[in-house]
Amino acid sequence: MIFHSLDFIVFFTIVVALYWRLPHRRQNVLLLIASYMFYGYVHPWFLILIAISTTIDYCAARGMERWPARRRAFLWMSIVSNFGMLGFFKYYNFFIDNVAAVLQTIGIQPHLPVLRVLLPVGISFYTFQAMSYTIDVYRRELRARRSLLDLAVFISFFPHLVAGPIQRASYLLPQVEGERRLSLPQLSSGFLLICWGFFKKLVIADNVGIIANKVFALADPSFEILWAGVFAFAIQIYSDFSAYTDIARGTSRWLGFELTQNFDHPYLARTPADFWRRWNISLSTWFRDYVYIPLGGSRATGARWVRNVIVTFVLSGLWHGASWNYVLWGLYHGILLVLTRAHRILRPAAPPARAWLRIPQVIGMFALTLVGWLLFRETDLSSIVRDLGLSPWQSTPLERQTGLYLFLLAFLYSIPLWMQSIWVELRRGIEREPAVVPAWRGAALRALACGAAFMAILVLRSRTSLDFIYFRF
Amino acid sequence: MSDPVAARRAAALQLTCALAGLLLVPLALPVANRVLNAPQLQQTYLPALEGPRERLPFDSNPIAELAAMNPGYVVIGDSMAGSRIDPKRLSQLSGKSIAPLLQAGTGPAWWYLALKNWVIPSGIRPRCTFIFFRDTNLTNALFRLDEQYRWNVDKVAHEREDEVNAVIASRSGGALYHVRAAIDRVYQASETREWLEPAVNEWPARLLVPYRRQRAAFLSQMNERLGLSHLRPMDAADIQAADDRDANFARYVDKSFLPLMLRETRQAGLTLCFVRVQRRPLGGRPPYQSPALRRYIAALQAHVEANGALFHDDTGDPWQALDLYGDGDHLSRDGRLRYTEIFYNRMRPLFP
Repeated sequence: MIFHSLDFIVFFTIVVALYWRLPHRRQNVLLLIASYMFYGYVHPWFLILIAISTTIDYCAARGMERWPARRRAFLWMSIVSNFGMLGFFKYYNFFIDNVAAVLQTIGIQPHLPVLRVLLPVGISFYTFQAMSYTIDVYRRELRARRSLLDLAVFISFFPHLVAGPIQRASYLLPQVEGERRLSLPQLSSGFLLICWGFFKKLVIADNVGIIANKVFALADPSFEILWAGVFAFAIQIYSDFSAYTDIARGTSRWLGFELTQNFDHPYLARTPADFWRRWNISLSTWFRDYVYIPLGGSRATGARWVRNVIVTFVLSGLWHGASWNYVLWGLYHGILLVLTRAHRILRPAAPPARAWLRIPQVIGMFALTLVGWLLFRETDLSSIVRDLGLSPWQSTPLERQTGLYLFLLAFLYSIPLWMQSIWVELRRGIEREPAVVPAWRGAALRALACGAAFMAILVLRSRTSLDFIYFRF
Repeated sequence: MSDPVAARRAAALQLTCALAGLLLVPLALPVANRVLNAPQLQQTYLPALEGPRERLPFDSNPIAELAAMNPGYVVIGDSMAGSRIDPKRLSQLSGKSIAPLLQAGTGPAWWYLALKNWVIPSGIRPRCTFIFFRDTNLTNALFRLDEQYRWNVDKVAHEREDEVNAVIASRSGGALYHVRAAIDRVYQASETREWLEPAVNEWPARLLVPYRRQRAAFLSQMNERLGLSHLRPMDAADIQAADDRDANFARYVDKSFLPLMLRETRQAGLTLCFVRVQRRPLGGRPPYQSPALRRYIAALQAHVEANGALFHDDTGDPWQALDLYGDGDHLSRDGRLRYTEIFYNRMRPLFP
């Protein structure tokens, strides 16, 4: 089921109406039923995988507590089964294709079986979430749960099941287990988040997505047209993914849950490290805590640290999809991070950046991010090479104007996004006494914001509705 | 705001105002339409799918053309049929004239309406009317009914197409479309889109090219630069991922145009033959068919034949190898001629 459908609105209304009439344990039963309905709405067989994953992780964690001497074996059981399913459905064909390509280069014509099933939606998200539970239990940072129901709700909680944000067991499980209260401030802020999320998805992401799709379907884009398309894609992927997160967080608040923030205005980042503190925060912190730090993290120096960063980022790229361009994208960001650190080591006494210098830093970092998005969007390696070889001197005047037109159109749709980011960023540094704002003024602003968002959805939503991009991962 | 009661009150006020704002602020749209003299639009023939909009008129010319031609055979379909059947060659082989009612980017709604509003009113009695389709197209009523395809449908649709609308409503959320239509009516969203959307899309062009005539030329050249002839030649072109979701014949047959097609041709005494084209072969073998798709095709064939129509499936035909194919499921120019001959031979009993 997708958020931007009438089916979901009806489904969610019924769930909320029933939910708050039930006592706590029954609320969890309802959440599990609703989550499984949500997930199995189109393809019921997806439920088998999530149920298997939940059962294995439940047993593995319980086993770790009961037989501490065999903790490691239970952890491996969980890792092999979770990553085994993920690897099979997501990476099997990629693996087979590459094996076949290698064999062909040495003159062998292999006939390897290809997997012909759909990739279960959201499998990367819930696998990582489930793994956080067993790893934390293994590390004795969390106790194993006795209630299979609570664990199943934690893994399958429908608002964020398909595209995150990935929640840690230590954060979400206590909320599943604890009593939830209907809170008006939560309802109010949740409603605003949902409105903003729908606006970002239907008005911004879907409209600029058409531009990006058009450009990346061209056989011979010019320099300007290509980069206008990359700019449009940058806006699309951010507004699309953050829209999903906002709707997920908003709907969760209506059920009494608080999910972690996943984005913090990433296009205003000034360095690669800053970007990764702001982009897909839940995934970045997952890789930091479960891959980067166990490898040695920042405690390692020199070549080992470089290896840690590169391995972490390449795996993060591969998490997004079974294709070499994602690996390249991860590698690119890893190298950026290594280079900025090397720069800091070479020039340790660099003075703190002046306020006016922040603008070119942000623009520079955004330009670097765009190069990354080109690698991310262009799935064919030969097309990437061609794209990077394009020069503005080869373009005709029409192509220059077309590129500018597409850029301006994408920029026009993205203005609300930039305004919000800049407004939040400017207020971030200001420390002052909390202003006494009359309640009516806040209420009036919310009314206007929601009304304007709905009005824009009515009249400016894209004529072509696109799926959320992160559904593919 | 440390007082919890005051905080709750403020939150209640904010939520109420947000809801009220959501409902009331868009009422500015009808006011804006009045001030800007936006044209009043007519309800379309597809209220289950869309709000009022300007449509292309029904094209009645094919009725007279068909009547004048009195063809021996009629071929209806999209680019799958267009890239397979060479009417001239088929006419040479069969000795009868062929009327191709082919339009790229069309789906079962268009095929049904072409049959109902063009073929049958023309009064012709062809030996057979062929409808070409892929896999689950025939029972996917919404296939190729997205907004970019509706201009095609306009040309075959009358002012009212209640049965078509009912089929679409049954497939797209039932009576819920009345809710969407009511929202559209209250806020005049379609009327606003009619002038706002072009204005937004033209804004960058206004900045770049201030003069109207040059701007029109620029937009036309730009569309050409981004048009079909510049797209990547992809193997995947026009291949939609086979999704078992649609391969459920019993579930979708009554929510499709198939029963209407069968009824109309039966009543008109015409012979109808559905031709399932073979999708692109993979690795020298016929395309993969999931078990669900195989069951679907078997059920489709049984249904069609039980209702007096004919059914032919190209899938697995050893003569239709990869060398016939161009982009995606389309055949190449040379492949088209060869397919026409293969088709003629396979369907020989229908070409006496």
